[in-house]
Amino acid sequence: MFRVELVSDTSTATPGWSYAPTRGFDPTQAMAPSLGRKRGIRDAGKGGDISSRQANAIARHIAELDRENQRDVSIPAPVKQAREAGARGTRAKTTSNVRRILQSQKTFRNHLDDEEAAIASGSGGIAGMQGAGAASIIAAKGGKAAARTATPASTAGVKRPSAAMVGTATGASTPAQETTDAETDADDEPSRKPKLIKSEYDDDPLLRSYAPPVPSDRLMQRLLAEAPLSYNASRAKPPASAPPGRHFCCMCGYWGKIRCKSCHLRTCSLDCYKVHEDSRCGAFF
Amino acid sequence: MGTAKARAPPRTPATPTQPVETSRYLPDKTFIIDNGAYMIKAGYASHAPASDEAVSVCSSIPNALVKTRDNKIVIGAQLATVNDWNEAMFRRPVEKGYVVNWEAEREIWDQSFFDGKVTAQNRNHHIADPEDTTLVLTEAPNALPILQRHTDEMVMEEWGFGGYARCLGPTLNAWNEIHSLFGDPLSSTSDASILPADCLMVVDSGYSHTTVTPVYKGQALQRGIRRLDLGGKHLTNYLKEIVSMRQYNMVDESYIMNEVKEAVCYVSNNFAGDLEQTWKGNRKRQSGPEEGIVLDYVLPDPNANKKGFIRPHDPLLHAKKKKGAASRLSADVLSEDVLVLGNERFTVPELLFTPGDIGMKSAGIHDMILQSLSVLPTGLHSAFLANVLVVGGNSLIPGFMERLETELRQIASSECVVRVRRVKDPVHSTWLGGTRLAANREELSKISITRQEYQEYGSGWAVRRFAGLI
Repeated sequence: MFRVELVSDTSTATPGWSYAPTRGFDPTQAMAPSLGRKRGIRDAGKGGDISSRQANAIARHIAELDRENQRDVSIPAPVKQAREAGARGTRAKTTSNVRRILQSQKTFRNHLDDEEAAIASGSGGIAGMQGAGAASIIAAKGGKAAARTATPASTAGVKRPSAAMVGTATGASTPAQETTDAETDADDEPSRKPKLIKSEYDDDPLLRSYAPPVPSDRLMQRLLAEAPLSYNASRAKPPASAPPGRHFCCMCGYWGKIRCKSCHLRTCSLDCYKVHEDSRCGAFF
Repeated sequence: MGTAKARAPPRTPATPTQPVETSRYLPDKTFIIDNGAYMIKAGYASHAPASDEAVSVCSSIPNALVKTRDNKIVIGAQLATVNDWNEAMFRRPVEKGYVVNWEAEREIWDQSFFDGKVTAQNRNHHIADPEDTTLVLTEAPNALPILQRHTDEMVMEEWGFGGYARCLGPTLNAWNEIHSLFGDPLSSTSDASILPADCLMVVDSGYSHTTVTPVYKGQALQRGIRRLDLGGKHLTNYLKEIVSMRQYNMVDESYIMNEVKEAVCYVSNNFAGDLEQTWKGNRKRQSGPEEGIVLDYVLPDPNANKKGFIRPHDPLLHAKKKKGAASRLSADVLSEDVLVLGNERFTVPELLFTPGDIGMKSAGIHDMILQSLSVLPTGLHSAFLANVLVVGGNSLIPGFMERLETELRQIASSECVVRVRRVKDPVHSTWLGGTRLAANREELSKISITRQEYQEYGSGWAVRRFAGLI
């Protein structure tokens, strides 16, 4: 039994279609395209312009940078009989919890996998307890707060918009400074309002400044009470608008201008390329 | 979790399991441990914290077990006695910023804080009676609950502290005296009890990772915490890798390369220009020993008991050495090993700002700050951008602060003031903040648990309590 499918990748010299064997009917696989091994390797790095082999090489490189030592070594903690007998004698006996923790050989990777599995199954530690309703409430409140304070902000005739921002910026952090630039800080206390100098340009739309309102105490309490994100969720995302990636010479670190035809690593000049070709080009990718 | 429970303000006990406040006994003596992956910062909090004096009380203990070349195993503070760092191997109990291996961590803690008698040397970091001590322990944000639980169990069951508070390291910085740092006028109530800063964006660039934590009145806004998985360790390893490929094989020399990194690396404020300047094609055009970026680092020689040092690059040194004795160089110069560092000096710390240079799909520090702000109410953006505080060892790299401020200025809204500051001692800043928190007994007792409470409710309760859920 065979299925014919189209191949989307046009940059390589593969035929436009291929036979893909199906191994009986599997409901979980029915919708997912079952790819051959080779094409899987090429396409797995989707979402970028890099092949999966390159993606793997990058991941391996990053993992390598994360190591403590280049080689795997075991450094056992020295055994200290004297301490066990002497200093610890006065202390209570080691509890089962402590014994379990001390004997655990799990690495961070293991713990993280456990945690991710627990979150996926809906019972992940503290992170799993995070209320789903909290976000929507905050969004609604934020909107309401913005609408409420839009009017006082517009009544404040401010000469320079940037000055108003200074006022709110530092005012939020140091209440003491509010007195110095109170005339720019309109949306906190009504008692300050008489101090403002009225002028005919107050309603000029060009001079109007919009200072976003400081969120209410109640909103802040809600935000502070939120449970922490999970480890993976708190990782920084790729930048929204990134400049194109920079490439460097794999030999000397200068801009990588030439791409090796067999391994796709970059070099800056023929000098570097020759060294690369002679010694290091592994024709890997 | 239902909304009814979430509506209760944090830290105010609403459950009947809470003990009566009057029966709580929190020991007066407070010991603060900032348990960094590279270095433990520990010491007692004094009751009247004066910032400069307090740091001298703080002990820095390397958080590692080291196996030296002659197969000796050295722990923690003993590392100061090691002379030969060649091929030293490290075992660190802290992985990715979190204590994972308590077997090793216990050795280090025991040796540093608990073993032996009180002497003049260890007076500042010896805990004679944990039962009469309150421990303030820092942790990195977004820790796994299971690891938090392990920490609580070890602290309370292995050592049995009388009181215990586990708090996010970055938040403690808000307790420091930062108004003068940012040039803000001191609040008039300075003689009153110490209070945390209102809004502070703490960038903590440490050994294992770099985190961004928005801190509001001393508490972290959890949804805004972001992490970049690059830290000092990665920079050292990257430098090691580059140097090993281009010059000598240094893959086993973590310690030495770390010293090289600290000596030569800087963050470039003109990356393309510096790169042009260090290119070998351009290098030849300049004549004589140049003033520019390229430096020589003379590697340490433990046999001759010489430390490593930097000196200006001498392009002819290599040729002179080839001539050997014919050139009139001293034997010292002939025997020394020199690393020539050109673009390595700035391409390595550059990773913190453009992780894409090694193909990592992650934002740089400046972008991470904006990502953090994007999930917070807009009304707070300007306050946080005007109060960016950088702590952690990487902030000591020359040019780091200028670069961060420039980059942040470029991408932040033009209406906002951007102020990026570093405390005088960014490594001990978190610890120092802890001492100031400890001086405010009321706040401290709010976030602490006592030994009795732990024994009554157990570690699961403690984890939830420190997460602010009870």
